[in-house]
Amino acid sequence: MTVAGRTSEAAGERRAAPQIGLLVGGLVLLAAVAVVSIGVGARSISPTEVVRALLDYQGTDDHVIVRDVRAPRALLAVAVGAALAVSGALIQTLARNPLAEPGILGVTAGAGFAITLGSGLGFAAGQAGQLGSAVVGSVLAALLVAAVGRRSPLRLVLTGVALTAVLSGVALGMRLMLPDTFDAYRFWSVGSLAAREQAPLAWPLTAIAVCLVGALLLSRALNALALGETVAHTLGAGVGRVRAMALVLITVLSGAATAVAGPILFVGLMVPHLVRKPAAGSVPWLILYTMVLGPIVLLVADMGSRVLLPTGEVPVAVVTAFLGGPMLIWAVRRYGAGSL
Amino acid sequence: MSLRRSSGLVGAVALALALTGCGSSDSKSDSSGKGGTRVFAADNGKIKIPADPQRVVATGYAVPVMIEAHAPLVGISSWKRGESMMSKKDLATYKKVPKVAGELATETNYEAVAEAEPDLIVIGVPAPVLGDIDVKRLESIAPVVAIGPTVPSAWRELSHKQADAAGSLKQFDAVKAKYEAKAAKLAEKYKDVLPQLKMGHVGAYGETAKGTFQREFGSSWGTNIAEDAGAKYYGKVKKKGPGSRAVSEYPSLEELPESLGKADAITYSVNPDGSVPEPVKYVMDSKLWKNLPAVKAKKTFPIRYTEAATYGSGMQTLDAIDKSFAPLLNR
Repeated sequence: MTVAGRTSEAAGERRAAPQIGLLVGGLVLLAAVAVVSIGVGARSISPTEVVRALLDYQGTDDHVIVRDVRAPRALLAVAVGAALAVSGALIQTLARNPLAEPGILGVTAGAGFAITLGSGLGFAAGQAGQLGSAVVGSVLAALLVAAVGRRSPLRLVLTGVALTAVLSGVALGMRLMLPDTFDAYRFWSVGSLAAREQAPLAWPLTAIAVCLVGALLLSRALNALALGETVAHTLGAGVGRVRAMALVLITVLSGAATAVAGPILFVGLMVPHLVRKPAAGSVPWLILYTMVLGPIVLLVADMGSRVLLPTGEVPVAVVTAFLGGPMLIWAVRRYGAGSL
Repeated sequence: MSLRRSSGLVGAVALALALTGCGSSDSKSDSSGKGGTRVFAADNGKIKIPADPQRVVATGYAVPVMIEAHAPLVGISSWKRGESMMSKKDLATYKKVPKVAGELATETNYEAVAEAEPDLIVIGVPAPVLGDIDVKRLESIAPVVAIGPTVPSAWRELSHKQADAAGSLKQFDAVKAKYEAKAAKLAEKYKDVLPQLKMGHVGAYGETAKGTFQREFGSSWGTNIAEDAGAKYYGKVKKKGPGSRAVSEYPSLEELPESLGKADAITYSVNPDGSVPEPVKYVMDSKLWKNLPAVKAKKTFPIRYTEAATYGSGMQTLDAIDKSFAPLLNR
């Protein structure tokens, strides 16, 4: 290796050191927040009992709550938070549009339309029925948007907005005509992590895990694409292939997250902006940071959703909406619109 | 019919109670006897109405009451939620009487009301929902009395008041007497078992998506008729709210052991066909439910027709309760 090469490598390592430190710090924070979230809820359970429930399960009410209600819920928050945040980072990179979020692919509208249609026709009853309908609806909507808008980011965004408008309008009309369908949709329409412990989550969570790994593997190629298609071509990146793969990842990540938790806005839009500065223009770091910060944001919001009311819960989507606005304004003011 | 009513209606009922302060509890009517009219105290004030109405239009909760009381109906609103609780004869009447309004107050067809030429209009909706109705326009057609729902168990007084306004107390009292006789018979039948049990109830309006369940206490929809049969429901809401919120609450599933752990027996609402509604199924599928002493002792009882708000439909609820509680007599 030449002297110049060694110098460049050393400089790169120096740049990466604080980023690695930040990532490790984020992971530690994520672990801490996850543990705290398992200890927080409507029923007061001592930390000792929480630990005992995890390590020495006896089947008492406290242990059931920790193991069968809170722990799966924390796991779901981590998966959904990571899925939404990473899909947000991917769509913003792909569309080169800082205001893009996963819903722009029509995923949320597709899931909502499918649940409305399914309820009207009677096959979206129960959690499994709703989950299945939401998965099918979101995937079909995203595939349609991707098929029509795959050639350019602008076309992709316009197609997503148009399809969202059409599906939302038709679904609204159906709900207005069918009160029971409206009821079924109402329960799903405000995203929540509550009561998902009885839903069949194995497949959606596996899909999310696989796609998160896929996003990391694709991130270097996206780095080139972020510089523009011409530069990406020059660097040897297969633009069409990378874009198609990114669309698949965004579709599955946001579709699975929306299917299991309902629409949770702002996480996909907000989290990438919060980590854009430390990522310093690197898509791999952006993906890694969003993968850690997304779960942290959702876990904190979910804890808030559990303790805000004296009885019952506030859906987590309401809390993220309250957190999302101020956090986004803070990010814009802190880093400037240019960085977005 | 689904047990789950639209949230809008439930919210409206709750809001109505907040705003009216349960104002319809004043059920006295003041008969003047002059010119065939009398002054009637309703949610919308003291209204001069015919002493013996001949052509009545009824909406909302007043519909099943008026049908049971054989009021001289010339128009009613749609009342699909109550169809499964109507007797064959009442259902035939319900289908036969012209519909002058839909399920919602906003769906009032003023021209159809006018065409019916009523001499009295009885509106059985909560006071805030009255804002969705052009009451002045209705008043230009006939006197309007609004007698809306309050706490669930108050259907007895409210239905009496509605039947009174329509001058149909005779038939109303006959059905009421049958109900009370049936309830007394059940109370006698279960007197050695029911009063000794501390009971709790899981209602059908919990929101599964929020991880909550509906815990109903005495005087609520799921409990008030069972109480007539001698059941004793323990506990009260943590924070009293308006309307049904005074007698039921929506805690997190995590609070299930705390909420129902002391119950000797648990009743739960089911659909008219006996199927378990999704919010109740969510509770029953949890391990916390299976840990409850009452569940371990196999003292859980489904109750159908918990939405009954008339004496006639209440008798079906009593029959359902009798059928459900029957195993208690063999223990």
